[in-house]
Amino acid sequence: MKGLRKYLTPFAPDQSGAVSVLYELGGILVICDAGGCTGNICGFDEPRWFSHKSALFSAGLRDMDAILGRDDRLVEKLSDVAGKLEAQFAAIIGTPVPSVIGTDYQGLRRLGERKISLPILTVDTNGMELYDVGEEKAYLELFHRFARESQPVVPGRIGVLGVTPLDMSDSAAAEKLTDLLKVQGWQQVDCYGMGAGLDRVKTAAAAEKNLVVSPAGLKAAEYLSKTFGTPFEVCNPLANELLPALDYTGKRILVVHQQVTANSLREELLRRGSGEVTVATWFMKKSVLAQPGDIVLKEEDDFTELAGDYDIIIGDEVMRPMIPGFSGEFVNAPHFAVSGTWVGR
Amino acid sequence: MNKTPISYTVRELCQRGTENIPPELVSNTHLIYSSPATLAFNSPGAEGFGVKRAGLAIPGSVMLLVAPGCCGRNTSLISSMPEYNNRFFYLMMDETDIVTGRHLKKIPEAVEEVCNFLPNKPSVVMICITCVDALLGTDMERVCRRAEEQVGLPVRPCYMYALTREGRKPPMVHVRQSLYSLLEPRKKKGTSVNLLGFFAPLEDDCELYQLLRQVGVKAIREISRCEDYEEYQKMAEANFNLVLNPEARFAAQDFEKRLGIPSIELTRLYEIDKIGNQYAALGAALGVAFPESPERQQAQQEVEKFRNIYGPITFCIGECMNGDSFELALALVRYGFRVSEIYGTLTAENHVYLRRLEELSPETRVFSNLEPTMLYYDCSQAEADLTIGKDSGYYHPACPNVPWNQDRQPFGYAGVRKLFEALGHAMEEGRNHK
Repeated sequence: MKGLRKYLTPFAPDQSGAVSVLYELGGILVICDAGGCTGNICGFDEPRWFSHKSALFSAGLRDMDAILGRDDRLVEKLSDVAGKLEAQFAAIIGTPVPSVIGTDYQGLRRLGERKISLPILTVDTNGMELYDVGEEKAYLELFHRFARESQPVVPGRIGVLGVTPLDMSDSAAAEKLTDLLKVQGWQQVDCYGMGAGLDRVKTAAAAEKNLVVSPAGLKAAEYLSKTFGTPFEVCNPLANELLPALDYTGKRILVVHQQVTANSLREELLRRGSGEVTVATWFMKKSVLAQPGDIVLKEEDDFTELAGDYDIIIGDEVMRPMIPGFSGEFVNAPHFAVSGTWVGR
Repeated sequence: MNKTPISYTVRELCQRGTENIPPELVSNTHLIYSSPATLAFNSPGAEGFGVKRAGLAIPGSVMLLVAPGCCGRNTSLISSMPEYNNRFFYLMMDETDIVTGRHLKKIPEAVEEVCNFLPNKPSVVMICITCVDALLGTDMERVCRRAEEQVGLPVRPCYMYALTREGRKPPMVHVRQSLYSLLEPRKKKGTSVNLLGFFAPLEDDCELYQLLRQVGVKAIREISRCEDYEEYQKMAEANFNLVLNPEARFAAQDFEKRLGIPSIELTRLYEIDKIGNQYAALGAALGVAFPESPERQQAQQEVEKFRNIYGPITFCIGECMNGDSFELALALVRYGFRVSEIYGTLTAENHVYLRRLEELSPETRVFSNLEPTMLYYDCSQAEADLTIGKDSGYYHPACPNVPWNQDRQPFGYAGVRKLFEALGHAMEEGRNHK
């Protein structure tokens, strides 16, 4: 039945994606919730939370705040915190509660900026979309707001978009990408989402090129291309790490992951002689990145009906119990937004 | 900018009184800082028992969470425990559901599909709904009745309304009412007693069991010890309830109103003499005299043994643990130790401990885990030999820590004894690591 989950727990929601992009940038992040959403983000979707302090807050909304739409109270609380903490900006991130009461985020931002001398970002996430939608919104808001001025291009500088724990499922993703790109001759690698600070975001126009490693980074790359002429390429150079040493020759293979990782895996598998590779995703399918026959999965049944036809399935192992009759090889390719597990764990 | 977390001494707080608790210590007056020390506040389900786990306390029950996907995200932490395998299911809402309320029509069908999917029929299906339905004003009782008609099984609502956390009936109060709402009236047995309040049993060697048996009680029931639905139903034959957690007060009132079972409330304490007084008062209420428990002496001996070995050491005490941080601080100070800092939620109710603490340790500092400036907490500013509570351990990572947040509930003299045993182990381990 549509919307019913019997095997899989819900995937990382849009609000987690938004936090994932902004977490390391030195802002005051306010989750506009009653507490539970913040608990889900911090206690599950944001693995850096245990090792890396960030000024992350719950708005602590109560029923009367929601019923009466007391935005002024939220701004008062934010103003109080802004006076006590060092921060470069503030961000208000939406959840189901403001979505239900129809919060006017632009109004909230204007109200806040009249009271607080910090730039305020708002991300109108609603807890019902998936993480990549929240990431995409946060990236766009971030670059629209801070990457406004043209900069002289710095040769050898590359920006990487879509690098978050939720997308890369690897705590060392930024370091690995940096090392790999430096070997390729790039001198300065800015991983927006993991590693690069707000100063790098502000000078993003100076990048010689951008690399998009997940579909959530595509719109921001298009914005930077259109505004500053920065060219971009789409692929995940770390995807090959997910492939174990198997004989893929002539095999029919299903890859289920975020679209860019899945596309990079397909390319590699075809290079290794696979017969046919189908890409499926529970998340965004950007038409410009898709090939005919690529699939978007919505319901559990979509996956169980699809899976029987393949020799090898590459995807997060939480999906394995859904296909007890599958007799082929299931290769675990962790996706943090699906299972909350890292590569190699 | 002053990068010092805001705190108050016990003396300052007592001077201000219950009417003038500083706003920094009142959570609804500021943004809630979210650090690992606050996970139990922001996401009770992620640690210990939140609504989701508690809602499955009835043997053989399953839960259908009807909510936006974000509300069920961390449930996989619980689902990974073997006892919760195949017990959580999700009906995910989208924006159209919110606008049209069509998700409510889907619930009976979803319940049916879940029941058909399971190899054995569940005893109850709990429907857990969240903030969204709180705002929509959903009549979930009615929806549950319709689902019951469709599947021929009890279906009950359970409300995970974080928005009402500081209201009259917070979610953890409500869920306790839901859990006992399925009990059907039964003939009373004078030798049966229920213990209400927790979702895991008391420690097996807690003297409360022995004390009750000594005065003729034969069946002592806790929901977490009921092996099946029939055993759970026997809770309706109790002569009286002992309420061990104030969050079960409303459930106890329901027992009285619906099943004619009265209740007596007991408080978890760590002051040995006060535990004795409480048992004496319980005996008086029941018209019996409890014999002196050997556990009392054992608890005293454990405290003395610890003090003799480690001396008047200094503690920092958090609130993410099985106890009231202010009462525990008072007990430790009375046993001859020092308490430099408390991370807790000050209420009018625990002011009674604060006032007594003022007489013995007025300079103890009180912080709120939830206050924004806790971002700047620096453990080097505090004196601590040993910390109690998971939050306290987070603030003092290099210091021996006893999380004391286990599922099995410490209570009475046995609770004191076990705490000091755990403190002794932590100190010993701390020494071995040096």
